[in-house]
Amino acid sequence: MTSATGSPSESFFTRHEFAIRRLHSLTGIVPLGAYMVVHLATNASLLNGTETFQSLVYLIHSAGAALPLVEWGLIFTPLLFHAIIGVWIARTGHSNTGNYKYPSNRRYKWQRITGLIAFVYLMMHVWHLHGWVHFSPWIKLGDQLGFAQFRAYNAASTLAVAMNSLFWQAFYLVGVWACIFHLANGLWTAGITWGLWISAAAQRRALRVCTAFGVVLLVVGTSAWWGAISTDPEAAKAIEDRMYKANVEAGLVPRSVKKRTQPDPVLGDSSGDDAASELISTGPLSDAGQ
Amino acid sequence: MIAPIPTKKNPPSEIRVRVLRQNGPGEEPYWELFDVGYEREMNVISVLQKIAAKGKNVDGKKVAPVAWDCGCLEEVCGSCTMVINGQVRQSCSALVDRLLADEPDEIVLEPMSKFPVIRDLMVDRQRLFRALQRVKAWVPVDSYYNLGPGERQSTKEQERAYPLSQCMSCGCCLEACPQYNKIELTRNEGETDEQFEARKLAAFDEAFVGAHAISQAMLFNHNPTGKAIAGERLDALMGPGGVSACGNAQNCVAVCPKEIPLTTSIARAGRATTFAAIKKWFET
Amino acid sequence: MAQQRVVVVGGGLAGLAATMKLAELGAQVDLISLTPVKRSHSVCAQGGINSCNDQTRQLGDNEWKHFDDTVYGGDFLNHQPPVKEMAFWAPKVIDLMDRLGVPFNRTGEGFIDRRRFGGTLYKRTAFAGATTGQQLLYALDEQVRRREAEGLVRKFEFWDFLGPIQDETGRCRGVVAQDMVSMKIEAFPADAVIVATGGCGLLFGKSTMSVFCTGSAASRCFQAGARYANCEFIQVHPTAIPGADKLRLMSESARGEGGRVWVPRTPHDSRAPKDIPAGDRFYFLEERYPKYGNLVPRDIATREIFDICVNEGLSVDSDRMCVYLDLTHIPKAELDRKLGGILEIYEKFQGVDPRFEPMKIFPAVHYSMAGLWADYAKSGDGGLLPGSPRNQMTSIEGLYAIGECDYHYHGANRLGANSLLSCIFSGLFVGPSIINYIANQQGGYAEVPSSLTEAAVKTQQERHDKLLKTSTGDENPYLIHQEMGDLMTRAATVVRRNKQLEEAIGHIDELHERAMRVSLSDGGHWTNQNVIFAKSVQDMFPLAKSLLHGALLRDECRGAHYKPDFEKPSLTSEEPVERRRQAEVWCDEFEANNRKFLKSTIATWDTNSNQPQMSYEDVDTSLIPPRPRLYGLVGAEAIEEVWNERAKAKADSQQTATSTH
Ligand SMILES: Cc1cc2nc3c(=O)[nH]c(=O)nc-3n(C[C@H](O)[C@H](O)[C@H](O)COP(=O)(O)OP(=O)(O)OC[C@H]3O[C@@H](n4cnc5c(N)ncnc54)[C@H](O)[C@@H]3O)c2cc1C
Ligand code: HEM
Ligand code: HEM
Ligand code: SF4
Ligand code: F3S
Ligand code: FES
Repeated sequence: MTSATGSPSESFFTRHEFAIRRLHSLTGIVPLGAYMVVHLATNASLLNGTETFQSLVYLIHSAGAALPLVEWGLIFTPLLFHAIIGVWIARTGHSNTGNYKYPSNRRYKWQRITGLIAFVYLMMHVWHLHGWVHFSPWIKLGDQLGFAQFRAYNAASTLAVAMNSLFWQAFYLVGVWACIFHLANGLWTAGITWGLWISAAAQRRALRVCTAFGVVLLVVGTSAWWGAISTDPEAAKAIEDRMYKANVEAGLVPRSVKKRTQPDPVLGDSSGDDAASELISTGPLSDAGQ
Repeated sequence: MIAPIPTKKNPPSEIRVRVLRQNGPGEEPYWELFDVGYEREMNVISVLQKIAAKGKNVDGKKVAPVAWDCGCLEEVCGSCTMVINGQVRQSCSALVDRLLADEPDEIVLEPMSKFPVIRDLMVDRQRLFRALQRVKAWVPVDSYYNLGPGERQSTKEQERAYPLSQCMSCGCCLEACPQYNKIELTRNEGETDEQFEARKLAAFDEAFVGAHAISQAMLFNHNPTGKAIAGERLDALMGPGGVSACGNAQNCVAVCPKEIPLTTSIARAGRATTFAAIKKWFET
Repeated sequence: MAQQRVVVVGGGLAGLAATMKLAELGAQVDLISLTPVKRSHSVCAQGGINSCNDQTRQLGDNEWKHFDDTVYGGDFLNHQPPVKEMAFWAPKVIDLMDRLGVPFNRTGEGFIDRRRFGGTLYKRTAFAGATTGQQLLYALDEQVRRREAEGLVRKFEFWDFLGPIQDETGRCRGVVAQDMVSMKIEAFPADAVIVATGGCGLLFGKSTMSVFCTGSAASRCFQAGARYANCEFIQVHPTAIPGADKLRLMSESARGEGGRVWVPRTPHDSRAPKDIPAGDRFYFLEERYPKYGNLVPRDIATREIFDICVNEGLSVDSDRMCVYLDLTHIPKAELDRKLGGILEIYEKFQGVDPRFEPMKIFPAVHYSMAGLWADYAKSGDGGLLPGSPRNQMTSIEGLYAIGECDYHYHGANRLGANSLLSCIFSGLFVGPSIINYIANQQGGYAEVPSSLTEAAVKTQQERHDKLLKTSTGDENPYLIHQEMGDLMTRAATVVRRNKQLEEAIGHIDELHERAMRVSLSDGGHWTNQNVIFAKSVQDMFPLAKSLLHGALLRDECRGAHYKPDFEKPSLTSEEPVERRRQAEVWCDEFEANNRKFLKSTIATWDTNSNQPQMSYEDVDTSLIPPRPRLYGLVGAEAIEEVWNERAKAKADSQQTATSTH
C-alpha cells in the first residue's frame, strides 16, 4: 500500500473487498466457530470415558461416504478461505500496542496473533490426526512421519497415542487456547462488524457475554486437551475393540480397516491392512474413496 | 474529569525537547534537541513558539525553527495534531507540567506517522479531507435560496447528531488506528501535476476511509435531508477500504479529543451496510 | 456568457458562505486560505447567532428591534442600511443553516432553541451546544466540499494571499498568493476578488483569536490602496484565561450563573484563595455597581478589572495581571449541569478544577470592529439594494470585503452573537452583487494581460527573495511581534490616554523600521514558516499604526473606545431645576460631540511616508436617530427625559415640514 506504484486499476480483491471481508467474518462464526464448539465438546467427552467419546465419534462417522464432502464443503474450504484471508488481513494491519495500551487494542493484536497461531496449529493438527485427505499413499506417508494418526474406531486410543509426546501436548495447549481466544473475541468483533451491538454500553455488555463464553469454552477445550493426554491407550483400546465388535455385529457401524488400528477384532489378523480386501469385504458402505 | 496537575516543588529551569525533524518529503528524518526556559502553564505550542523565537538547538547552533501547524490553540480547529511522547494528540492542549509529571526527562515530539511529512512536524492530511468527499459528507440541499426552515428535529436527534458533528478532522483517530496505513506516493517521471494528483486520489480512494469519515457518513445518513443520499454513502462504505476494513481495535474512540462515539458509528455503519447488502442482493 | 472566475481569499464563515453562493450562481471559485478552510478561526465561536424568531416576535420583538439593538450596541457608528438588511435577513440565514444540517439545540417540541445574549431583552440567539461557530463553519465547509467535488471550486489551502493585482485603472484583476509548502508565488487572475480574512487580534500579541488572525491580508489590500475604516475599534472581552500562548475565552455565562469576581485586598496575598476570609476579599464589581453586581456589561466589567490590576495594583499574581472569577460557592452538580463545557476548557488548559478553585481571568482582545472600508447601495426602504455591484466593494474596484474584515455592521462595539450573522449574511449577499459586477465588466479573467500578472508576481518574488537574503538584518521577527503586542496592549486596549497613545505611536514607528530589518533563522525554500511569519509581522504595522492614530484622534468615548479624559460627567445636582439644566447641557454636549465624532474613521496608506492618512466620513444614521447610551450613569432619567422631548420635537417639526410641502 505504501508503494509508489499503486495502480488505479482495481484488482478483484479491491472490487469485492466488502463481500470478501464479510464472508471472512461469517465463516469465522459459521461454520468454523460452530464447528469448533461442537468439536471441543465432543473431545471433552473423553473425560467422561472412552465409551462416550467413541460413541460420539461413531455418530459423526455415521455420515459415511458423505463425511469427506461435509469436511471439505463445510469445514476445510471455509477454514482455508478464512485462514488465507485472515493472514492477509493480519499482514495489512500494523499493531501499535506499544504506544496505545488500551485493552481493545491489545485484543485486536491478539486476534491477529491467535489467528496466526491457529493457522499453524490447524494446519498441523488436521494433518497430525486427520491427515487432510484420505488418499492412501498420502496417509501412509503421513503415518510414517507420525501424522494422520487418528483412527475413528479407535478414537480415544489413537488420539492418546498421538498425543503422547511433550511437544504435541504443549503444541495443542497453545493451539487450543489461541483458537478459543480467537473465537470468543471474534464473536465480539463480529457483533460490531455486522451491527449487532451498537452503543458503547451494548458493546461492553456484549464483551462480558463473549468473555463468559470464552471462559466456558476454555474449560471445555482444556478438558478436551486433558482428556487426550490423560487417557491410557491400552485400556482405551480394549474398550474400543469391544465396542467395535458389538457395533459391527449389531450392524450399527460399518466395518472399516482404515478407521482402525490393527488387527481387526472382527475380521481377524488375516485381513492385514490391505485396502483392496477391505473394499471387497465391506462393499459400498465402507469409507471408499477417502 | 482531569486529575489536577501534581504540583511541582522545584520546577525545572529548562525543559529538554526532542524533536523528530525532516527537511522535506523523502528526506531522512533526524532527531534534534532543544532547551527552552520553563514557565508556568506552558503547553507544547508555547514550547515550539519559544524554540522558533530562539532559533538555536541545544548545542547553541543556529537552526531553522521547527515547522508545525496550529490555529485556534484551544482544541477546536484540529490543526496541531502531533505525536507527543509516543501518543497522538493536540499539541495546544498538551500541558507541559503534565507531560513532565509523566516523563520528567524530556518531551518527545514527532510528526504523525500515517501522513506524508511535509516538513518537521507538519504533515499532509489531504487524504483525510478526501475521505469526506468519498462518503459525501454533506446535506444535499436543493439551493441556498430562502426556502424556510429545515425539518423539525427532536432533542434526541439533535443529541445524537451534535457529538458527531464536532469532528474537527484532526486525524488522531487515523494515526492511532492500526488498520490505517500511510500512503505516500512520489511523482513518476514525466507525470503531469494532474496525472499525479489523479493517481494519488485513486490510491486514497482504495484505502481505508478511517473512523472519522465513517462517523460523518452516519451523521448525514441520519439527517432528515441528508438521508436522501444515504444509499450513496453506504455504497462508499461498502466499497474498497470501506467500513469492513476496520478491525475493531477501537483506538480511534480512545484517542479522539472530541470524544466522538466513533465505535458506535462504526457499528451503525456495520448494521446499515449489512441491510443494504442484503437488500441489494435481493433487489438488484 | 463566458465562465466567470472569482477568487475568494479566506475560508471562514464569510468566505465559505460567499464561495458556496457563487458556485451555486455558476461562477468558478478559487478559494485561497492560510489554513485548511475547516480550521479557520470561525470554529472558535461558542455562544451563538442572532435572529428574531417566531417566539420572540410574539413577545414584541421584530427585525427592526434587532436592528435597533445592533446600532444602539454599536453606539450608532454602524452604517444603518446594511445593518437593517442583515437584521431582516437573519431569520432566513438561520433557516438556511438549519437546512444545511447545523445541529442547533432543540426545544422539547423540536424547534430551534434560543438563549438570551448581551445587549437585548429577547431570546434571539440560536446555538449548537457551546460550539456554534464550529457547527456553522462545518455546514458551510461541507457545502463547499460538495461544490469542490462537482468541480466548481478549487481550494488552495496553505496559501498566503500577498496582494491584489490591479490594472492601470486600479481595478482588481486577481491576486498574487504564495504556496506555503513549496514557497512558489503565483498569480490568480479573476473577474472579481473577495477578501474574507477575518480579524487582526495578533496586533495585540495574544488575544482570544486564532494564530491566523494577523490582519495581514487586510493590510496588504490597505497598502495596495484600499481604505481601512474604524481602525481604532477593538472589542476587549472581560473574562479570558491568560495563557502562555493564547488568551482563551471564558464565556459570560460563568457570571450569568452566579460567578463572583474578586481580588484579595492586600496586593499579592500569598494565601490560597480558599484561606482568604470574606473580610479580606474585595468584590469590586459588587461594591462599585451594587445594582448590577457581577453582571455589568462587558465594557464596564473589562474596564473595572483592568483598573483593579493596573491602577490599584491588586492583581492576584505578582508577575501577571489577573483577578479571581469564583464559582466555588455553587454546588458542583449545578455547575456541571449548567457550565460543564466551559469549565472543562479551564480544566483542560489550566489543569485546575474551577469547581474547587477560583479561576484566574483577565480581559483579552476579542474582536475587530475595524476593517476594510466597504461600499453599499441603499434601497428605497432604507436597506440594501440586492445585487448591486457596489455592495461590499472596497475602494478598489472589483475587490470585495466581507465578514470580520469589513467594517460597517458593528459600529463601535459588536453585540454578542451578531458577528457570525454578519459573516454569513455578507457572504451570501455579496454573491449576486459580484455576478452583476462581472456581467458589466469588459475583459474577463482570461484576458488579464500576462504582463500584469508577471509584474505582480515579480514584485512579491522580490520582496520574498530580499527577506531571505538579508544577512545584514539583526532583528528577530518573533521578538518584534512580542514587543508590538506588548506595546499595543498597553496603549490601546481598554483604557486609552492621549499621552500613552502618542508615545506608542513613536514606538511603533521605530518598531516598524526594525521589523523591516528582520533576519531570518531559516533561509530555505521549502515550507519556510519563518519568512511567512516575518512578512505578516511587517504587514501588521500599517494596521497597528492606523489603530493608534485613529484612537489618538478620537477624543471621546464611544463603544469599545474609552478615553477617561473625555468621559461625559454624571449629573451632580439633586435639585430638580438645576438637574434639568444640567441634563440640557449634557444633551447639548452629546449632540455637539456627535456632530464631530459620529463619523467613520477612514485611513488610507501613504507608501512614501509609511504612515496612514486619517480622515472621516459620515455615517448613515438615516433610519434610527442616534441617542445617548446611559447605562449606569447618574442622572440617566433626567437626561433621558430631555432627550426624548427633543427627539419628539424634532420628529414633529419634520412632520409639519413634510405636510406643508
Ligand atoms: C473566542 C471567540 C468566540 C466568539 N464567539 C462568537 C459568538 O458566539 N457569536 C458571534 O457572532 N461571534 C463570535 N465571535 C466572533 C466570530 O467568531 C468572528 O468574528 C468570525 O468567525 C469571523 O469570521 P470570518 O469569516 O470573517 O473570518 P475567519 O473565520 O477568521 O476566517 C478568516 C479566513 O481568512 C484566511 N486568511 C487570513 N489571512 C489570510 C492570508 N493572508 N492569506 C490567505 N488566507 C488568509 C484564514 O485562513 C481563514 O480561512 C467569537 C470570536 C472569538 C475569538
Ligand atoms: C486458521 C487461521 C485463522 C486465521 C489466520 C484467522 C485470522 C483472523 C483475523 C485476522 C481476523 C480479524 C478479521 C478482521 O478484524 O477483519 C479473524 C476474525 C475472526 N476469526 Fe479467524 N482466523 C483463523 C481461524 C479462525 C477459526 C478457526 C475461527 C473459528 C473458530 C475463526 C473465527 C473468527 C471470527 C469469529 C472472527 C471475527 C470476524 C469479525 O470480526 O467480523 N478464525 N480471523
Ligand atoms: C484438545 C483439543 C482438540 C482435540 C483433542 C482435537 C481432536 C481432533 C481429532 C481427534 C480430530 C480427527 C477427527 C477425524 O479425523 O475424524 C480432529 C480433527 C479436526 N480438528 Fe480437532 N481437536 C482439538 C482442537 C481443535 C480445535 C481448537 C480446532 C479449531 C477449530 C480443531 C479443528 C479440527 C478440524 C478442522 C479437524 C478436521 C476436520 C474433521 O476431522 O472433521 N480441533 N481434531
Ligand atoms: S473523529 Fe475525533 S480523532 Fe478523528 S478526526 Fe474527528 S475529532 Fe479527530
Ligand atoms: S482504531 Fe481503527 S480498526 Fe476500527 S475501531 Fe477504530 S477504526
Ligand atoms: S491549535 Fe487548534 S486544535 Fe490545537
